This record gives sequence, structure tokens and C-alpha cells, in this order.
Amino acid sequence: MRTLRRLAYWLRLSSHHADLLNEVEFHREMVEQDLITRGMSPAAARIEARRTMGNDTVMREEARGVWLWPSLEALWQDATYTMRDLRRNPTFTIGVALTLALGIGANAAMFSLIDRLLFRPPPFMVDASTVQQVYMYRTSRGKESGTGGQYARYADMARYSTAFSQFAGVSLKRLAVGVGEETRVRRVAIVSAGFFGFFDAPPVLGRYYTPNEDALPDPAPVAVLSHALWTTQFGARRDVLGATLRIDAVEYTIIGVAPEGFVGLWPYRPPVAFVPLATYGRSEGPPDWATTYGHSFGIDPIARRKPNVTIAQASADLTNALRRSYQAQYEGRPAGAPLDELRPRAVAASVLEERGPEPSSALRPARWLAGVTVIVLLIAAANVANLLLARAIRRRREIAVRLALGVSRRRLFGQLVTEGVILALVGGAAGVALAVWGGRVLSATFLPGTEPVSIITDARTLVFSGLVALGVGLVTGMAPMAQLARTSLVADLKSGPREGTHGRSRLRTSLLLLQSALSVVLLVGAGLFVRSLRNVREVRLGFDADPVLLVELEMRDVRLDSAATVALRLRLLEAAKALPGVSHAALRESIPFAGMSSYPIKVDGIDSVRALGEFDFNSVSAEYFAAMGTRILRGRGFETTDRGGTRPVMVVGQSMAKVLWPGKDPIGQCVRVGLDSMPPCRYVVGVAEDIHSESIEPESKLYFYYMPALQWKPQDGGLFVRVRGEASAMAEPLRRGLQREMPGASFVTVNPMGNIVGAKMRSWIVGATLFTAFGVLALVLAAVGLYSVIAYNVTQRKHELGVRLALGAGRFGVVRLVVMESVRFALAGVAIGSVVALAAGKWIGPLLFDQSPRDVVVFGTVTVVLACVAIVASWVPALRAAGLDPKTALQAD
Amino acid sequence: MPRTTPAELLPGTLDLLILRTLVRGSNHGYGIAQRVKELSRDVFQVGESSLYPALQRLTLNGYIKPEWGVSDNNRRARYYTLTPAGRKQLVAEEREFERIVAAIRLVLELA
Repeated sequence: MRTLRRLAYWLRLSSHHADLLNEVEFHREMVEQDLITRGMSPAAARIEARRTMGNDTVMREEARGVWLWPSLEALWQDATYTMRDLRRNPTFTIGVALTLALGIGANAAMFSLIDRLLFRPPPFMVDASTVQQVYMYRTSRGKESGTGGQYARYADMARYSTAFSQFAGVSLKRLAVGVGEETRVRRVAIVSAGFFGFFDAPPVLGRYYTPNEDALPDPAPVAVLSHALWTTQFGARRDVLGATLRIDAVEYTIIGVAPEGFVGLWPYRPPVAFVPLATYGRSEGPPDWATTYGHSFGIDPIARRKPNVTIAQASADLTNALRRSYQAQYEGRPAGAPLDELRPRAVAASVLEERGPEPSSALRPARWLAGVTVIVLLIAAANVANLLLARAIRRRREIAVRLALGVSRRRLFGQLVTEGVILALVGGAAGVALAVWGGRVLSATFLPGTEPVSIITDARTLVFSGLVALGVGLVTGMAPMAQLARTSLVADLKSGPREGTHGRSRLRTSLLLLQSALSVVLLVGAGLFVRSLRNVREVRLGFDADPVLLVELEMRDVRLDSAATVALRLRLLEAAKALPGVSHAALRESIPFAGMSSYPIKVDGIDSVRALGEFDFNSVSAEYFAAMGTRILRGRGFETTDRGGTRPVMVVGQSMAKVLWPGKDPIGQCVRVGLDSMPPCRYVVGVAEDIHSESIEPESKLYFYYMPALQWKPQDGGLFVRVRGEASAMAEPLRRGLQREMPGASFVTVNPMGNIVGAKMRSWIVGATLFTAFGVLALVLAAVGLYSVIAYNVTQRKHELGVRLALGAGRFGVVRLVVMESVRFALAGVAIGSVVALAAGKWIGPLLFDQSPRDVVVFGTVTVVLACVAIVASWVPALRAAGLDPKTALQAD
Repeated sequence: MPRTTPAELLPGTLDLLILRTLVRGSNHGYGIAQRVKELSRDVFQVGESSLYPALQRLTLNGYIKPEWGVSDNNRRARYYTLTPAGRKQLVAEEREFERIVAAIRLVLELA
């Protein structure tokens, strides 16, 4: 009730105010009249009435205070005072807000990314903490690696595990959606019917499919559309139910539409439709797709733990289920169960795939980048604290006057903190605006090919930014207080520049040093990453990625026999060569960095070739080496005459030649490739340079050889096409040219090879770009900090400098005096920052490529850069100092 | 719970006196002050600086209700009327006051 009345009072604040004034005025008149009736003269009565009434302002304030929450009232006053003050100093306000915006914006963008990668459950998921993604491992040749993906394995896991109340199989694939011209490769979620049970997301239209429709042996061709596809492709029409949608080889009937924002497990890679696991499996797999362990669809199981089942118990249960699955797989096979060798192991991990049992490739750089953004925030905060401090010192006299007039220090403190918080909130709001942009850049860098997510509408990010802003505001607002706590009232009241009290503030100096030291750390990081990236780019991969386009064939439901497929591939090869802009084209089976093929090989005189390492191969046509730019070091590459029926030949990599025939001529050697006990000889005709096929870092015990495409599975794989000029510009003409040869609904995709290799360089590209961006940001902030401190010092020393000039100091001398002060700050910062950077080298070292974290060039460059920035930052104040008119300076104040 | 701010008299008694004077009918601030003064035979001088905050406090608590009216000498004045809640509060405060006065008397007599 009281609160309601209070609110009502607040709403009519001014009218209440007037009422009170009138009321008191009436009272005064009555007193006056009373005095007149008692015989006082009207004039004397008026004065006497006023006197007896006492201080009516205090009384009015007190009467009003009854209604107000006193602390709120004080806060309001502080806020309005601050606003007025900030409006009066727009440069200061904008400078501070911008500084904070950069710091808070970087952190908001980073938070949004990390939050989504690591913490936020998929939208609509019920009780996500009990949902686990299942990872499976097995050991082969003493090395443990991931496994799974088969339908049979998934079915076994669902059947044999007991710790879960819900189980589903999921796979996200890029598939051809639509027919004819409309066909696009899009993400489709292939999920078992139980998947939808993990969510509370009733369809906006129609229904989800049932276990019956996802059941063997005859699953139904039904699909559920995403809300996005429904609105963009089908105009959100309600009669979409019953219509058909072609996905890959199957004509699906649309039975439902998922609610808006339902993206399954993939917020960054939203699927356009959901189709039953069994339907997809039957359409894509071999006839025994559902029972074989030899065909993987990339199915990942997800499962919900029963209540009271711990994660450890869940993992143990899954491991047990996996063992039983392997037992079932090897049942009836001789020579005992290989379980002891396989050591199957399953892990119940977070449903967020980036968390996984091992951090993902995007996550690792994201983690230390989060550290970098925190440093940026620290720099920004130090900068703002410094600016506020400078202002507080400039306002010393004003504050001293207020203290003398009886303002409590607590109240003054409150006012300073209010000022800090208001500035931080303004900066925070601007920061969020920056983060909207920055977040897009970040997610494009970390999660290329994904949909950006809005930050401005995201409550978690906004709350985070608000809290950060508040925290920064409180801390920076308090900084001036530390200074004021020491001031002596009397000294300040009397003080002026003339007193020559140009005692440097220790706090300000430390803040400035902190700033320059932190920017040195970031700049050193930037330098190291830029050099790493350069080293990465200079690595000879054994082929040129940039001018090469990768052609892949998507056959959909077009089933050609081997001969027809070979004929098609040869037609494509001719079509590619005939296109203007194409310099070379070749058939190829596998793709470096995207999985090479391997086959058992035998070499006469060597007991176990397998013991020497891993031997991968590619089967390629005549122009392959020219198309890829892989150099033939000895002998020859392939000719068009190397085909079925002619002598079987091969080209081996340099290292392979060395390891198999040390000290001997590899040309003419015999290698037997195949599963049989004694496959026929294949003769080495050439030696090619080594290539990287898995990582950019040096690969050991990984060897390559090549076989002519027409002699080894000529029906498998696609093409490599080398073009003149920009590869990405040629992608579309090439696609159109090749598409003409494709029968029926089949189609080709063309992508620059550079994209595939680029993905492997991503962590260095990310490191170099973002460290540089943040390093420059830090440098700008440090420059602003230096400028403000130097400019302030010049103002403080105006009198002293005036004396110097009057005594005949040269203009140049004064400039040098000021600039050197700035440079000294910067160099001190470099010294501290270098120590920190050297210490941090231990952690940053593993992230670099062929680059010492103690690179002299990098440290030297950073020192020079910072010194230059110090000179530039102090240049304007220095000129101002040199331009002082001694007379004015001495007379001022 | 009403907030008890120390008045010039005994703590809380100003509120009690104001409420009591209003039992006879509504009155304005000046009238209330005069009445307290008269009734107490000039013992209590209610200062404006405590009167008006007290009136605001009582209004906030809903014990009295202000209304603009016309005074005897034809001037606009704000009249305060006792509300039912105020009447209840008056009874309670009177009882509380009696209790305290009795207790003080006891101490004075027996100590």
C-alpha cells in the first residue's frame, strides 16, 4: 500500500511539490495575520513570520523526503549531476565511452561465441544436462582412434545399453535438396524418430515422424521441414503438408514443420529438414546397410541418462554395450574375439559437440583468445581509470570546495562511482553495438560456413555485457577516490598550477605502465602469430592448392555401372580441358587433407612394409602432376598409355623410395598392391616430391604413391582442375561446363582446393588476424592513455615550462623534454611487457609454427613501434608546450 | 508498520497529537499546530519543520487524507481528515502511550 502511494506520489511529483509550497505559504500568512492581530505592524509581522518559520527549504526537503527513498534520491541527484557534467565535456565522454565500447564489445562478442560453443544447451532441449553425446573408440595397432557411425553399431548401442531412458541416432549431412535448377546442397538432419523426444518443440504444422515410419525393413519417405525452409521456400503455406521435397535420391512427403528456432543439435549449422535415419540409410547404403558393420553413415548416438545414473556409470554402461556389439560383430569368426586388442571404449560426453571428449579445433584458439579479450578489457579499464583520475585531479579544487561545504566523503565517493558506472553503461551499450558486428566477424573466423547468430537479441550476452560494464564502472569509478583519499583539504583549496604541485600521481603512472605493458604482450603475440602464419604459408605442401579446383560428383539416384561411370568421368575430363582458362585437368580418387586411400602393399625382401609406416595412395590420370604442381624428381609421371591392359606402373614419393629401397635406384622396382597373398608386380616408373596430406606440420612415417587411374578403380573419385587466374572466379564457369555432361538428377560440385588447405591453416590465420586486431586496438588505447597523461602533465607544468621558456630554453628543448617523458613511459612499459611476454612464451610456443616465442625481431619491432607511438602521442602536447607564451603562462591563474 | 521518527516531543507523540486533534473534524496544518498549542496551554510548540514532515508521513501511511478546501478567512488551505485506518492507529497509539506513561510513573514512584 505504502509502495503504491509512493509510486503515485512519484508520478505527480511536481504537483505535490506545488501543494507543499502552497500549504507552507498559507501557514506563513496565518502566522503573519496572527501577529498583526496581536498588534504588530504588517511589515514587522512579515519579517517575524518568516523568522519563526525558520529554514523552510530544509523543512520542505524533509517533508518531501518522507516520500522518497533517500538513497534513490541521492543516486538520482548524482546521476543527473553526472549527466550534466558529461554533456559539458563531450570529448572526454566520447573518448571514455569509445574506449570502453571497444573493451566491452570485444568481450561481449567473445562471450557470445564461447557461451554458444560451451555452455548453452541446444534450443528447446529438455533438461540438456542429462543428455549425452556418445563417442566410441577402439585401439588398432596400439593407437586408439574414434569409431562408430554404422547403423548396426548404433542399433546395438541402443539395444545393449541400460543406463538410458532415451536413445537416438543423429547425423548432419550436406545433401542435394530440390530438383532441377532449384537444387542446392544444404544441411539435412538425418535423425531417428526418437530424436524429437529429447525436445519440447511441438511442430507448428503437422507432426513429427513416428518410430514406425523410421523402422526396418520398410521405412517411410517422410520429412519434417525447418521453419526457415518452410517460410523461404514454401511461402509458409499451410497446404505444404503432403507436398513432396526431393532430398538426394528420395522423394520425401512433407508431414510437418518444426517451430521457429528449432535447429536440432546444431545452432551454428541449422538443418533445413529432418528425415528418418532408416529411410536415408536404405536409399544411400548397400543392400545390407542395416546389418553390416562395414558401412558408416556417420551416425552419432545421443542418449538421455536415467535419473540417478552418473556420467561415469553411463560411460561404463556404453563401453559394455560397445563390447557386446563387437562380440556380435565377430560372432562365428575364428581365432577368438579380438576384444583384448581392440579395447573398445565409449564415452558419454556433453551434448554440445564442441565440448566433446576433446576440445574442438575451433575451441582451442577460442580459449586463449578469450584471455586476449580480457587483456583488452583491462587495458580499456586502465585507460578509463586514468582519464577519470586526470579529471578528478583537475577538479581537485572543486571537490575540495564541496568537501569544505560539508559534503560527506561517502557521498562524494558515491558520486564518483556513479560517474564511472554511467560512463561504463554508455560504453557498454556502444560495446554491444560493436559486438553485433564483431560477433559476426568472430563466428565467420571460428566457425566458417555457419550461420551468424544475433547478439543484440540474446539475453545472456546482454546480461553479461551489462555486468561487465557495471564491474568496470565500479572499479574505474573508485580509482579517483584512491587519489582523493590522500588529498589534504586545505592544500587543495589553496592549490593551483602556480604551486608547482606537479607531483606525478603514482596510481596514474602505474596504470599507464600497465597499459603499455599489456599492449606489448598483445603486440608480441601478434608478431609471433604473423610470422607463424608466414611460415605456414611458406611450407611446401608438395602441391599448389591455390590454382586448383576440386570437382566432386554427386550421383543421387543415378545408378551407372562401372563402364558408364568411367565413360562419364572421361567425358568430364575432356569437357574440363576444353574450357578456356583451364590449364590442366586430371582424374583423381582421393583428396589430400580430406582422406587418402590405403591398401596393403608388399615389397620383395621386406618382411612387413606395414611396420615401416603408413602408405597412402591416390589413383590419378595422366596430367595429375602437372595439374597439382607436384614435381616429378626422377623418371616420369603417368602417360595416357598407362591404362588397363598395359604394364602396371606406379610413381612413389621421395621418402617412400628412400625407406623402401635405401641406397638403391627405385626406378623399375616391384611393389605388390592388393589384398591377395601375392598380387602381381607393379613397377615404379617415377619418383615424385613428398606431399602433406594430413597436417601442415611435418608428417613422419606417412608415405605416398600413385597409381594410374585407368589401372586402379577408374570409376572412383572426381577431378582436379588447374586454372589460370583466380580459382574461385573459375569455379562457376567450370561447374556449368561440367554440369552439361551429368545425366539425370546427378550433379557436380566445384570448390577451390585452397579452402580445404586453408581450413588446416585456420588456427594460425585466426591467431594472426585476431592478435593483430586486438594488438592494434591495445596500441591505440595505449596511445590515447599516453596522450592524455602527457597532455595533462603539460597543463600542470605550464607554469614551470613558462619559466623555462622565459629563461631562454629553446622550443626544441621543451619539445624534447615532453616527448622524452612519453618515450620513457613507453620504454618502461616495453620492459615490463617483455618480461611478461617471455614468461608467457611457454604457453604460446606450442601454438606457433616453426617460430620461437622469443623472437628477437618481434620484440625489437614492438619496442620500436611503441617508442614511435609514444612520440606521436606526445607530439601535440609537446608542440603546445613549445608554443606557450611565457608571459601568459606565468600570469595565468 | 509506521516509521517512528523522533519528534520534538516524546518519540512518536507528535503523530498521536495530530491524530487526536483531527478526531473533532478536519483541519489544516496551521490549525493543527494552533490547536495543539492551545490544548497544551502553550506547553507544546509544534514547529513547522516537524509538523509538515509528520503530516506527509501520516499521509503516506494512509492515516490522514489531505484535501484542498477554503479556510475561515476565505483562503485556499489543505485540510487533513482522519481516515478509518487513522482512527484505528489513534486508538492503538493512545493505548501504547498510556502503557508507557504508566510504566514511567511506576518507575518514578518506586525507584
